[in-house]
Amino acid sequence: MKFIDMIRTPKMNSGFMRVWSRNFLYFRKTWTVSLFWVVLEPLMYLGAIGFGLGTFVSNIGGHSYIDFFFPGLLCSTGMMVAFFEGTYGGFTKLTHQRTYSTIMLTRIGPEEIALGELLWASTKGYFSVIGVALVASFFGLIDTWRIFPALLILLLLCWLFASLAMIMTSYARNYDSFIYSTSGFIVPMSLFSGTYFPIDQLPGGLKYAAYLFPLTHAVQAVRGILQDGFTTAVGVHTFILFLLGFFAMNIAIYRIRGKLLK
Amino acid sequence: MSQKIAVELKDLKKKYDENFVVNGINLEIPKGECFGLLGPNGAGKSTTMKMMYCSALVTSGELYVLGLNVKKNFREIKNRIGVIPQEDGLDPDFSVIENLLVYASYHEIPARTASEKAQALLREMRLEEYADRSVDTLSGGMKRRLAIARGLMNSPELLFLDEPTTGLDPQARLWIWDFIKHLKAEKSTVILTTHYMEEAERLCDRVAIMDHGRILAVGSPADLILEHIGIEVVEFDTNPVDLNYYIGRLKEGGYNYQVIQDTVMVLINPTQEGRKAIELIASDKILIRKPTLNDVFLKLAGHQLRDE
Repeated sequence: MKFIDMIRTPKMNSGFMRVWSRNFLYFRKTWTVSLFWVVLEPLMYLGAIGFGLGTFVSNIGGHSYIDFFFPGLLCSTGMMVAFFEGTYGGFTKLTHQRTYSTIMLTRIGPEEIALGELLWASTKGYFSVIGVALVASFFGLIDTWRIFPALLILLLLCWLFASLAMIMTSYARNYDSFIYSTSGFIVPMSLFSGTYFPIDQLPGGLKYAAYLFPLTHAVQAVRGILQDGFTTAVGVHTFILFLLGFFAMNIAIYRIRGKLLK
Repeated sequence: MSQKIAVELKDLKKKYDENFVVNGINLEIPKGECFGLLGPNGAGKSTTMKMMYCSALVTSGELYVLGLNVKKNFREIKNRIGVIPQEDGLDPDFSVIENLLVYASYHEIPARTASEKAQALLREMRLEEYADRSVDTLSGGMKRRLAIARGLMNSPELLFLDEPTTGLDPQARLWIWDFIKHLKAEKSTVILTTHYMEEAERLCDRVAIMDHGRILAVGSPADLILEHIGIEVVEFDTNPVDLNYYIGRLKEGGYNYQVIQDTVMVLINPTQEGRKAIELIASDKILIRKPTLNDVFLKLAGHQLRDE
């Protein structure tokens, strides 16, 4: 893979929308069940950590703990769901189900398959973000119209992690391969990216190292926009998310194409 | 290039890792023909076909399908061909009819046309009553029929069948043979791979016998049999001790033969008579039979067991 492949998105036809639709069609059959679990889990965290443990924390930077934690929860939810759809879901369709090989028999090429899948995984992650946000609004956790630009940042986040997931899928040998990326990458990120506590609490250089985590930028941007509005920092973090997402998407397309057309 | 050619291969090669799985083959398949690629597992026939239906890249050489270059016009080619892959590749997330409709959506076939076409094909494939069943509940033969229906959804000009009857029971196999004969009657262009010689002999107008990535012979089954084997085969079992004695006699009589372990097959050409060979051998375990494509294949490719 050359550098040019990371910054150049191949030319594509509308076939990627058909791939997306295939997944949406299946989701529509099962959405009540799948969305229930996908939204329920973050809500349990919201209850246990936010409302439970959080009552022992007086305030963080002038905000209640639950207000501090909520943006982090939105981010880690989007990350998890998009990542799991792109890895386990993508790998199943790439190998056992041979879904992609079948699509390859039609006018849809490997690039469109990769993009369609990646957009689907982003969408599924985003559905869960919307689900959590809707439920949270009943608890009065959303008190600003700035949730709407925040949701756009969350869309970028889902896109980035769906792309990273598709890259993982292209390297995976079996389902066990995803244990490494989950335990070594996703879980630490959900813990140390400023989701549960401010990064300043991290010892020494680690507070700077945390900025290597893509999730950190999402959490900073979403929390920033909800609490302080459109600051320069929010802009910088959002731009970094976009840049990472753009690279990851192109790498994912390149890698998946290599898997589908040898 | 002529409008009458469906597929043209010029010195086609395919390399996986460091091995040439397809090693320089030339072939012309006219429209309206039922053409078979035969060979043992690992001969390169499926890979050759995969390159034709644009699911594998060409390493070197030229490959034209319906007059279009696979390296440049693969989208248009895939729009105009139908493929029934060996592993069916049905989508377990969807029902029988949804499999056809979702596939039609990949081809951008309008929903109404797709629905009519899917109904008609399910009827033709005798799958009507299973339309709403999950594909996991279908038998092997039904899955293959559904895969065929799916391959026909875009009304292809050229149909590829990769080992269409492998793993099916005799009834399902007969049904598929009948279906292919029906396609032939309509002058459709069909390209299939198989390792069943009997299947190729029954269905194909012409065949290419492949081994180790090369084509060993091309022609109609009848011509290949006549050219390489003759008109009859006299077959008898012997033992290693007597073998040399028999071979000496056959050589004296001017007969061609091939030995497979303890079985000797005497190839009778049009100027010879099978009965005379029987008299010459005078063994009690002897039979005379019509030659088959299998004999041609064993003669050309040898009879060693294949590991792949």
